[in-house]
Parts: sequence; structure tokens; C-alpha cells
Amino acid sequence: MNDFPSPHTVKQQLQACRSKEETFKALVALSKRLPRLSDEEKTDENQVKGCESAVWLIVEGSAEQRYFKADSDAKLMRGVLVAIISLITGKTQQAIQEMDLKTELAELNLSSYLTSSRTNGVLSILARLQA
Amino acid sequence: MAFDSYTLRNQFPILQQTAYDYPLAYLDNAATTQKPLLVLDAIQDYYRSFNANVHRGAHFLSDRATNHFEQARERVANFINAPENSHVIWSKGTTEAINMVAYGLEHLLEKDDEILITSLEHHANLVPWQQLAFRTGARLRVLPLTSNGEWEPEYQKYFTDRTRIFAATQVSNAIGVRTPLQTMINEAKQYNAFTLVDGAQAVAHYPVDVQAIDCDFYVFSGHKMYGPTGIGVLYGKSQALDVLLPYQTGGEMVRHVAYQATEFNILPYRLEAGTPHIDGAIGLAAACEFLAQQDRVALLDWEQKLANHVYTRLRKEGGIEIYSPEHETTLVSLSVPNIHTIDLNAYLDSKGVAVRAGSHCAHPLMAQLGVSGTLRASFACYNTLEEADQFCDVLLEAIEILADE
Ligand SMILES: Cc1ncc(COP(=O)(O)O)c(C=O)c1O
Repeated sequence: MNDFPSPHTVKQQLQACRSKEETFKALVALSKRLPRLSDEEKTDENQVKGCESAVWLIVEGSAEQRYFKADSDAKLMRGVLVAIISLITGKTQQAIQEMDLKTELAELNLSSYLTSSRTNGVLSILARLQA
Repeated sequence: MAFDSYTLRNQFPILQQTAYDYPLAYLDNAATTQKPLLVLDAIQDYYRSFNANVHRGAHFLSDRATNHFEQARERVANFINAPENSHVIWSKGTTEAINMVAYGLEHLLEKDDEILITSLEHHANLVPWQQLAFRTGARLRVLPLTSNGEWEPEYQKYFTDRTRIFAATQVSNAIGVRTPLQTMINEAKQYNAFTLVDGAQAVAHYPVDVQAIDCDFYVFSGHKMYGPTGIGVLYGKSQALDVLLPYQTGGEMVRHVAYQATEFNILPYRLEAGTPHIDGAIGLAAACEFLAQQDRVALLDWEQKLANHVYTRLRKEGGIEIYSPEHETTLVSLSVPNIHTIDLNAYLDSKGVAVRAGSHCAHPLMAQLGVSGTLRASFACYNTLEEADQFCDVLLEAIEILADE
């Protein structure tokens, strides 16, 4: 359904990064794998609040098998969204809830996106995915 | 004495480091500046040699602390040319100082009175007035300055017999433009409005003379002018300070307390409840001293030269929207169509360049400019031409990487 790279590919690409700059470039590359949402899908309801960039998230499928659609007006955020979704797509609701996504993202060199700074919304995204 | 930012830099220990193996280019000075040794040493010295509570007298250390604390007030009064030391009230910063005035004047406001601000204000000089209007039934009105900071003759109509308060920034934090401050203040005074000037973005760059401006209140933060965080100033004319009701009450601001009533202390203490931020005041005085030691004209010239250098280089490139003026500013505020400023910011950061992306606490101004945010590089006296170029080079790289193919 969603043509996301496998978690293995994402891990390989991001874990190979040796600097912030390399992670940046890897995220830009990953961002291209995210199908964009239509304007009709970018509703207020689908928007995740608390992000400096606009982020929309749509949860699909059933509790047995979850799929996600997402978009952002910022490219790096689209890369981060690809990384997150690749980890959880196709899993059961319960499996997703039981995952330690923060740790998994930290292992992908994305910890600087996880700090609860004033401008960071990744934590609100995770909260919504695991709700 | 020739001004030399390369030598001056040595007085800022924090700048002697790299960020992710790149030279650290700190260009987020409009948010907060770094602190020179003079300031760091003054704060250390206070804690190492004469820390005690002030105004309680009675012992050796307390006398020394009180002396330094009151000398700090005098230093700051001189810095802005206040006529009396008692006209300088300590606050946490610009935000608290504005709130002190907004709460302190509440008792004088009536329904349908008008509070006038400009369209270039930081939220700190907007929300307290809006909330004051909500509490009192007064109306908040907005004088629409253009992004060039221009004054149009028809702006006069915004001042009316009901204008009770006029509050304006001296320099816009988001786009670096200077407002036509004197024209506006003079106009406001014709209507006997209280006038407040937000000097947060001015004090580090422009010599300030509150008597020349002739405003009722002038407010600023220490941390944006090489001083510590958590300390700022509410300057007021004595008639203006006299009518302010204390925003906070408690110890230190009283002369006599009984269960039935309290007699308040005189200025400045009446408006300074509780133990003050003593090391902050001493640090801020040291920051004034630091600035006084510089050739202020050369310093401003240098900062404006850096901003103009960036402006000129980026203007040549095309495809970059610049919102700050070409001249007479110390920052460059820009956006690139179809690229989020947050992405530009992240790439700049990855290569050691510290700038700020976002709305700069000025949502209405961003709406006026038709953008969700801008990228802002803001300069201070210790920045170098190499840093200005580092910013331009990395920004152009970022645009290339982020542009949609
Ligand atoms: C123009 C202006 N006003 C007010 C403020 C608020 O200052 P503070 O956060 O130090 O209270 C700032 C700080 O960003 C500012 O730039």
C-alpha cells in the first residue's frame, strides 16, 4: 500500500551517517520517498500541533494492520516521517504501542529531533502514532 | 582607537569553540548575545567576594553588596542617560517590564480608551496590551508601519483623544528595521498618551538617550546587550512611575506593614518586591561598562557592514526574499520560496552556523509579510566577515540541496 523503504534500508542509510551534515543529506534523500498528501487531506484535524513546521498525519487500516500517510511543509520533517513510518507500517496497533520509538529513532542518529525543545514536534507525532 | 572585532572576540570565551568540527559562527545575537569576560568576572566576583542580601545593611558583606548593587543602578542610569538613578527599576527583562506597566496602568484605563501599538511589535509588546484591553474594555489599535518602517502622514489618524497608551519598538527584532520612533512619540504626546518604547533590540547597537526620546517608559533586557539573562530594566519618568500600581507586592517594597494596611516604599524600591536579582544587576552594569569602553560608532558601523555584506551577496544570487533593509540594520531576515526556513536552519546548524528560523515572536508581522517565518542572521560586535561569508556560503549550499529538482 505505502511504498516506504524497509526499516532495514532506513537503518542502513541513517546509521551510516557520521555527522549532522550527513544525517541532513540522508533525510533529504529519504524525504523523496514520502507520497505527498492532497490539499483535501491537509485538514486541521489531521494536523499535528506543536511542530514549527506544519505536519499532517493520517492513520489508516485496522488495529490488525496499521498504515500511515503523512506530510509536512518541511523537507527534513518529511524525511523523519519516512523513517518513523517505515518502522511501524503494517504492524498491529498493539505492536506499535509497545514499541520504544524514541530509542529506535535515537539509534538512527535522530536524537536531535527528539529533544523536547520549543520548536520540536516529533514527540507529538509519536504520541499521536501510539495513541 | 580602531575597532577590531577580531581582537574583541578574545574577550568572549564561548566563541573559542567549534560546532560539529566547523568553526562556530554565532549569528543569533538578536535572540541573545554572548557575554564578555568583564561580565563573567563581575558575576563571579560578586559570589566569590561580596554575596549578601541588599538593603538589609547591618554587616560588612551586605554593605558591600548594597553598594555594588546601587552602583549598578547608577551605571545603567548613565547608560541610557536617565536623569535619576531611582528612575531605573530592575525587572526580569523586557517582557516583565512591559507587564509591570500594563498592570500598573490598569487602574487608569476606562472602557473605550485606546491602546496603540505598531504592526512591527514582538509578542512581548503586544499580548500584555491586548490582555489589558480585554480586562478593561479598552481597545487595542495597531498602527500599520510598512516593512520599511515608514511613517505615512495618514498614520496621524490612529492617534485620537482616547489614545491613553502608545507602545512601540525602536527596532524590529524580526526584520531589523528602525521605526520612526521620534515622530510617533511626539505625536502620542500631543494626545497626552503614556508612551512606552521597547528598546530590546536597540540597546546593544544604538546609544540610547531616554531624555532625548522623551518617552514615559523605556524597557530592555540585559541578555541582548552582552549582559546576563534574567535581568532587565524598566526606566520611567518620575510622574509615570509614580502612577504605576505595584505589579507585585511583598518584602523590600514596603515602608511599614500592619494587618490593616501597608505603606509602600519610595521609588525605585516600591516597584521591586522581593530580593532582587543582585548578580544580574551587577552583570548588566558590567555589560554597560563593556559597551562604554568601545567606540560605539565604529561598533555599529561594523555590525551594519556585516549585515550589508550579507544583503549584497544574497541579493546578487536572486531567488531569495530579503525582508530587512539594505542599510542601517544589523541583521538579515530572509526566506526562500518553496524551502522551509527550518530546513535551511538545520543545514546551517550542521555546518556550525547558528541562526534563527521561525516567526520571531511576531505572528501578525509574519502575516503582514505573507510568510510563515523567516531565517534571521543577526550580528554583534564580535562577528567577523568570515562568519558573514560562512553564513552566505552554507545558505547557498543548503538552497541547492533543498531545491526541488
Ligand atoms: C523587540 C523585542 N521585544 C521584547 C523582547 C522580549 O525580551 P525578553 O524575552 O528578554 O523579555 C524581545 C526578545 O526577543 C524583542 O526582540
